[in-house]
Order: sequence, then C-alpha cells, then structure tokens
Amino acid sequence: MKLYNLLTALIIVLAYTSCDSDDQSETEAVGTLQLKFDHFVGTQKMELSEPGSIEFQYETADGEAFNISKFGYYVSEIILEGPTGEYYEDEQLVSALEVKGFYHVLQDEPSSRFITLSDVPAGRYNRVTFKIGVSESAVQEGAAGGVLDPAEGAWFWNWNAGYIGFAIEGTAQNSGQELVEGDGWTIPEKSFALHIGGWKDIEVAEGENQKFVNNVKTIALQFDSDLRVESALDPNVHIVVDLLKMLDGANINFANSYSIHAPKAGQPLAEVLPEVFIVDHTHQ
Amino acid sequence: MNAMHATRLPIWWVCCLLLLMVACEEADEEAKSNNYKFVKPRHFPAPTYNFDKNPITKEGFELGKKLFFDPLLSKDNSVSCNSCHIQSTAFADAQQHPLSIGVDNRVGLRNAPPLTNLAFMPEFFWDGGVTHLDFVPINAIESPFEMDEKLASVVEKLNANDEYRQLFQMAFSVDEITSPLMLKALSQFMLLMVSANTPYDDYILGDVEALSKEEVEGLSLFRQKCGDCHSGELFTDFTYRNNGLNTDFKDQGRALITESENDVGKFRVPGLRNIARTAPYMHNAMFTSLEQVLDHYDNSIQHSPTLDPTLEKGISLTENEKSKIITFLNTLTDHDFRSDRRFMNQQ
Repeated sequence: MKLYNLLTALIIVLAYTSCDSDDQSETEAVGTLQLKFDHFVGTQKMELSEPGSIEFQYETADGEAFNISKFGYYVSEIILEGPTGEYYEDEQLVSALEVKGFYHVLQDEPSSRFITLSDVPAGRYNRVTFKIGVSESAVQEGAAGGVLDPAEGAWFWNWNAGYIGFAIEGTAQNSGQELVEGDGWTIPEKSFALHIGGWKDIEVAEGENQKFVNNVKTIALQFDSDLRVESALDPNVHIVVDLLKMLDGANINFANSYSIHAPKAGQPLAEVLPEVFIVDHTHQ
Repeated sequence: MNAMHATRLPIWWVCCLLLLMVACEEADEEAKSNNYKFVKPRHFPAPTYNFDKNPITKEGFELGKKLFFDPLLSKDNSVSCNSCHIQSTAFADAQQHPLSIGVDNRVGLRNAPPLTNLAFMPEFFWDGGVTHLDFVPINAIESPFEMDEKLASVVEKLNANDEYRQLFQMAFSVDEITSPLMLKALSQFMLLMVSANTPYDDYILGDVEALSKEEVEGLSLFRQKCGDCHSGELFTDFTYRNNGLNTDFKDQGRALITESENDVGKFRVPGLRNIARTAPYMHNAMFTSLEQVLDHYDNSIQHSPTLDPTLEKGISLTENEKSKIITFLNTLTDHDFRSDRRFMNQQ
C-alpha cells in the first residue's frame, strides 16, 4: 500500500513538472530584430574601385581626392535595451569549432551587412550597443573558427596577435605610397591602407607612459522610435556608416597617413568611430 | 581435456582471476593515457593556458606531433617546425643555426628560442607580441624568413590529404580541417613539453644530495647576481629589458609591440632551463658560450637610453664566481626531457 502511494505521488509530481515547463515556454515569447548597415562616403553611397585605380569619386573636407577598394569591420557584443528594462544580449561564443556573436561586415559581401538577432524577448526596444573590433576576452580564447579564422579571411595581425577591427583601403591622389612589388603581391602606387587594431587594455603604471592602445570601441545608438519585437513582426534598424566622418574627424592627410598597420597610428581613427555610426531610421 | 580441467577450478578463483585481469588492463590504460595528461610540477606556477578550451587527448597530441614534424606547413615543403626546434637542444635551434634558416635558406632575424614550459608563459616571442600559444605557429608559417606559406594554403594541403582528414576526424570529430583545429593540435603537442626534471629540481624538492657543494655555491651566487631578472622556477620574471648588447637597435624588440621609445632594444628575459644546451645566446645569437654571456654582464655592458637600470654598472663577477654559476646552470639540463620518446618523430 505504501509503495502504491509513493508511486502515485511520484507520477503527480512528474506530471506537474512537465506541465510547468510547457507553460514556461509559452510565456517566453521571442522575435527577431535585424540590423542593416549601409556604407556612405558623405552623401554618396559607397562603391568599391579596383585596387590601384586612379579614378577618384570621393573627396575629403580638405579636398583630397580618393577612392575605396576595400572596406569593412567587425561588429561584436551586441546588446538591445528597452525603455522598461527590456534587455537582450547576443550570445558570444569563441571556439575552434564555432563562433557566435561576431560579424565581419564587408562592403563587397552584401549579405554580411545584415545582422539578424533571433530569440529576442518580445517587448519594446529603443537602444542598441555594440563593439567595433574584437576585444581581449575573445582574443584570449586562442585560435577560433568562423569569421575569426585567418585562413577563412579573418583580419588578423600575426606579429601583434589580435584582430583588425576596422579597415579602409583605396587610392588617393596625394598618397605618398610608392609602388612595391613582392613575391606574388604588389602595393600599388598612391594606394593607402588604414588598418585599425589593438585590444590590449592595460592600465598605465605610475611614472610610465601609456604603452598599449585599445582601439576596440563601443557604439551606442538610440532609435528614432521604440521598436516592438514579437514573433509575427519583422522590425529592423537601418544604420548608416559615413566613412567621410571618419577621415575628416581624424583629419586624415593621405600624403602622410597612407599606411597604418599598428595600434597607435590607428588611434585617431578609432577615437572618431562613435560618430561614424548613426541610426538613419527604423522599420516596424 | 583443458576444458575439463577448467571446470574443476573453483568458481570464486575464476572470478578473482578475471577481476585481476580487468584491473591490470585498467591500470595499463590509465598509465598509457597519463602520458597525455598535463601535470603541473608542484613547484611551478599555475599554467596560463586554458586547458578547458583545448583538452589534451592522445589523438590531438599525436596529430600535433605529426604537424610539428611535417614540412607540408612550408611553402615549398622544405621546412618544418622541427627544422628550428630540435628536441636534443630542448627544442631550440641547432647551434650551427644562430639565426633560424627558412625556405630558400633565408636567414631569420632572431635566434629560435627553446619550446619548454610554454603552458606557463604569459607571452611569446622575444618581443612578447603574441599572448596566446595557439597563435604562435602562425608567425612561423607565414613569416617570409621562415616557412613563407599562407595559413589558408596549409589548410588546403591538409584537406587534400586523406591521412590528415582521418587524423583530424579522430582528434576533433570533424570532416573538414580548419586552421584553429590545426593550431589547437600543435598547442596540445607543445603544452606537454614540460621540463622540470633536473638535479636542480631534485634539490629544490628536498633532495639535498642532488647538487654538489660547488653547484650549491653556484646556485647561491646565481640567485644573488642574476636572480632579480631570472627569478622563479622558470628563471624569468617575464619582463622585457635592454641588457646592454649594443647601442644601435636595428631590431627594436619590445618597442615593436608597445610602440614606446622607452622599450627600444628591450627583449624578453628568457627562462634558463636547459640553458647549457641552447647556445648561442641572446635574441641576436651574439654569444656562443655561457662564459661569453657572463663576461658580457661583467665587463661589456653597452650604454644606451633604455639600458636596464640594474645593469648600469654591469654585474661584477670574479672568474671563480663565473665558473661556479656555470656549474650551477649545467644542473638545469633535463636529460629526461631531451630524450622523452613522446616528443620523438617515431611512428
């Protein structure tokens, strides 16, 4: 009799727990939210030129004519926030087999300019923050796959191991670059390559100069209106990246700044990154 | 007849025998798998490598070893990791290669350091530009002075090789080979290169007989004269210093990484385990013997703005003291490590 009672109790408990978990999954409604990145140079849509081309579509505020042959950046650590405490953090995973939460946005890969966040808890959102670049926590995970695999096109510095967070390459009328021909590669005359990297965030010791530069920057953007996330909706945020703001903001003069391949030289460009990304509009 | 005989054995006896056999087999298995287990010597600091992210397995280690010895990693299939990192010299370069020799006999810029106790290192290379062991081999593979190959080409060559595909499948359960898995396998191989079995270690761990009187005197002198920089059980404080080798720095050393003029001409304080076997010495291989090294500290320090303050006046050493220090340094040679069969290229 005792055993029978015990079994009955067990069955009731089991049934109850399974019902409970069913209920939970129903209340946790989720939806998607898409970030769309569009690249501009001032008022013109960015178009890529062949490397070394001397046709210049664009001009800086100082009147320096240039074109772009390569453009892109890493987006990571995306967070959405809402006016009444809604919060979503895009999952970050760095391993050899799988990488999640890191996006390599490239001008010449249109699909990379759309980042779809899924399983966002239903609610209202009015703010997105993300990082441009790959920060220490990810670098220190060691060799990684996916968009962080250097053999698959990841932008990586071997000698000062870490990722290039933002890169611009092209040709400029005033560039001081001379033609360099190597074994199977060339650097065209008047070309430029501005690579922004550097992730070491080490506090300055007393009596010492700042040695390392952390060029991984956080971008925080407010939406023009609240966005509702629900399973039946398809909201998106249209973010405009204006390269001219970067070049003008950092007062780039191609005669001198045509080859940036180390953290310190990239710092002035990284400092203006927060002004380069703006929310153009949102779609509900 | 035999079967008949067996039936006469008491059942408990057979059981005991079976149990014993199983136990023995388990012990054997355990001993075998222990060869691939990372064991921190008890007097060593905590490892810096995160083993949770790359647990060492027999398959991963053996794959890493095969890669380490395979010239497929280089552009023209002529140079392997082993070309500049040889077990008999604690995985430093051969003495006749003061600077590393790459494809087409290209001469490198620095002396290839030994590959021991890498699991405990916070940074790698003479300038500390790499902060994770996984990323170390990329530099050797892609350097035009070393293997001059692209990481993507190595991955392509590996994927075209059925044996490698099978070995990666066994080690990581994947059908496709990728660069991070290749680097993780190489790390597994290098992480087990722990050198901690020397007369010095026996002495430190309590065997007072392990060192001779002269060696103990050498140890004491070493601590007094060299121990500020070559501190701890790895004999380095992991700092970067200008030790007065020259006044004109074609190789800027640490300043390449920090971009600070205060670091021009500074290089990593190297660990000294197996030091008697890793000649020539210094990043530029300018000394061929330990005698020359100690003579340098005694009377040849070159002054420049970034010279280490502790070396302003050099380190004054008598000939007798030098001799005793060298006697002590010889006790840091780990013969078991140099002949450990796990690291040998045997099939």
